[in-house]
Amino acid sequence: MSLFDKFEKNAVLYNSLSAIGKNPFAVVMEEVLGPTRAKIKGRETVLAGTHNYLGQTFEKSAIEAAKAALDREGTGTTGSRFANGTFSGHKKLERDIADFLGLKHCVVFSTGYTANLGAIAGLINPAEDVVLVDADCHACIYDGCALAGAETIRFRHNDPESLDKRLGRLDPKFKGKLVCIEGMYSMYGDIAPVKEFVEVAHRHGAYLLVDEAHSFGVYGKTGKGVSEAEGVMDEIDFYTGTFSKALAAIGGFVASNHPQAEYLRFSSRPYQFTASPSPATIASAGAALKNIKEHPEIAAKLWANANRLHAALTQYGLKLASKPAPVISVLLPTKEDAFAAWNFLLENGVYVNMAIPPGTPGKESLLRLAVSSAHTNEDIDRLVAAYGALAEAFPSAKVTAAAS
Amino acid sequence: MAGVENSGIQADDDLVYRRICSLLEPLNQKGVKLTRDVDLVADLEVDSVSVLDIVMDIEDYYDISIPVNTISETKTIGQLVDAIHAIKGQQG
Repeated sequence: MSLFDKFEKNAVLYNSLSAIGKNPFAVVMEEVLGPTRAKIKGRETVLAGTHNYLGQTFEKSAIEAAKAALDREGTGTTGSRFANGTFSGHKKLERDIADFLGLKHCVVFSTGYTANLGAIAGLINPAEDVVLVDADCHACIYDGCALAGAETIRFRHNDPESLDKRLGRLDPKFKGKLVCIEGMYSMYGDIAPVKEFVEVAHRHGAYLLVDEAHSFGVYGKTGKGVSEAEGVMDEIDFYTGTFSKALAAIGGFVASNHPQAEYLRFSSRPYQFTASPSPATIASAGAALKNIKEHPEIAAKLWANANRLHAALTQYGLKLASKPAPVISVLLPTKEDAFAAWNFLLENGVYVNMAIPPGTPGKESLLRLAVSSAHTNEDIDRLVAAYGALAEAFPSAKVTAAAS
Repeated sequence: MAGVENSGIQADDDLVYRRICSLLEPLNQKGVKLTRDVDLVADLEVDSVSVLDIVMDIEDYYDISIPVNTISETKTIGQLVDAIHAIKGQQG
């Protein structure tokens, strides 16, 4: 039985929450009603805890492209990119992403998670290289370091000076140095000072990888991400991203101007040893990319929605994690508050994400609202009303609570 | 459980130990008596990320870098102290 002992503590919590039907980690979308609506526990609910930032899940051209690919190429590739799983669609999508980003090379992986695993583990030789990781980086970056078996050093979140110090005191034995940051961080919706990180990393002869999973399509004048907004698209070394957010499919990629990025194809186990994205997935991701490229007003709508929601929540006096962004998180002092507040919103017909330590950057728990360009005025009215009621019912969620 | 006073460690090491204890104290919800043998996760119920955050304070205080891999191999306060002491010896 000892194999299962480790589960005991969390199982008690998980089962007790499930028993009363209030488990945030066991939600089922019983019926999907559109890009921002689903039936949960029999109730039509506004979805504000998805990553459908650009509302592409029901984009007509993407659905048609996916259907055509299904008819033309079948349901699955039944193999890895490295063997029989590379179709012409995979190659075309790699070119389209590289063109969109203005970078020379792109390698498509099966998920965003495996793209980061593959980039880090493929680039790093644990015998001679080192990885420096922002304290708040996503689990897949830490898992990539673990898979690489690399010496991994953590620096303070969004703090180029903290990175500078750690690069400065590195043992000269290290040959290759890779710095990993994200564009927008998914828990607080805060963004990285990428330009400063480029300067620090390159001054120390290190390479910079920027994970733009949450910022691709959303930040920057043409939607290339925070690196574009910071004016350093040509200076970062590796750009990683996902199809599962702005492009509303599943898959991931590593893009770069370094021609050697192509060698990830034979040096990266997460590229070689998992099946490639299905033809329909590749087709819908490609069509969504084309659509968001041709329609910058989609991202503009997302920002208008984000600004409106952020202003409303600020007005209610809720304690927010950062300035207006596609992710708007309300901070709560305890897990118990977070569970109760999350259920309160769900009962008011609103689904958001709930996160508790250690999955959060600080000691607080949070309710994470992810905005979509597809949120209608009516959706936003409902969100604003639900958060207004939340502010009334949960004084601990308000800015004034911190002072008392 | 061996307390710091009879663990036979050097004065400098003692300061690292005290520093770690002072950083752990705010997280010590159950009021466990801190000794070298206290297990960070099992006894103190401190999560892995909190341990990494404490280590970052130590890094900046002593101007050393402590790899994440090293920290994940330590379980008790004493092991963490010893790991930091070893790195201080190399880098300091």
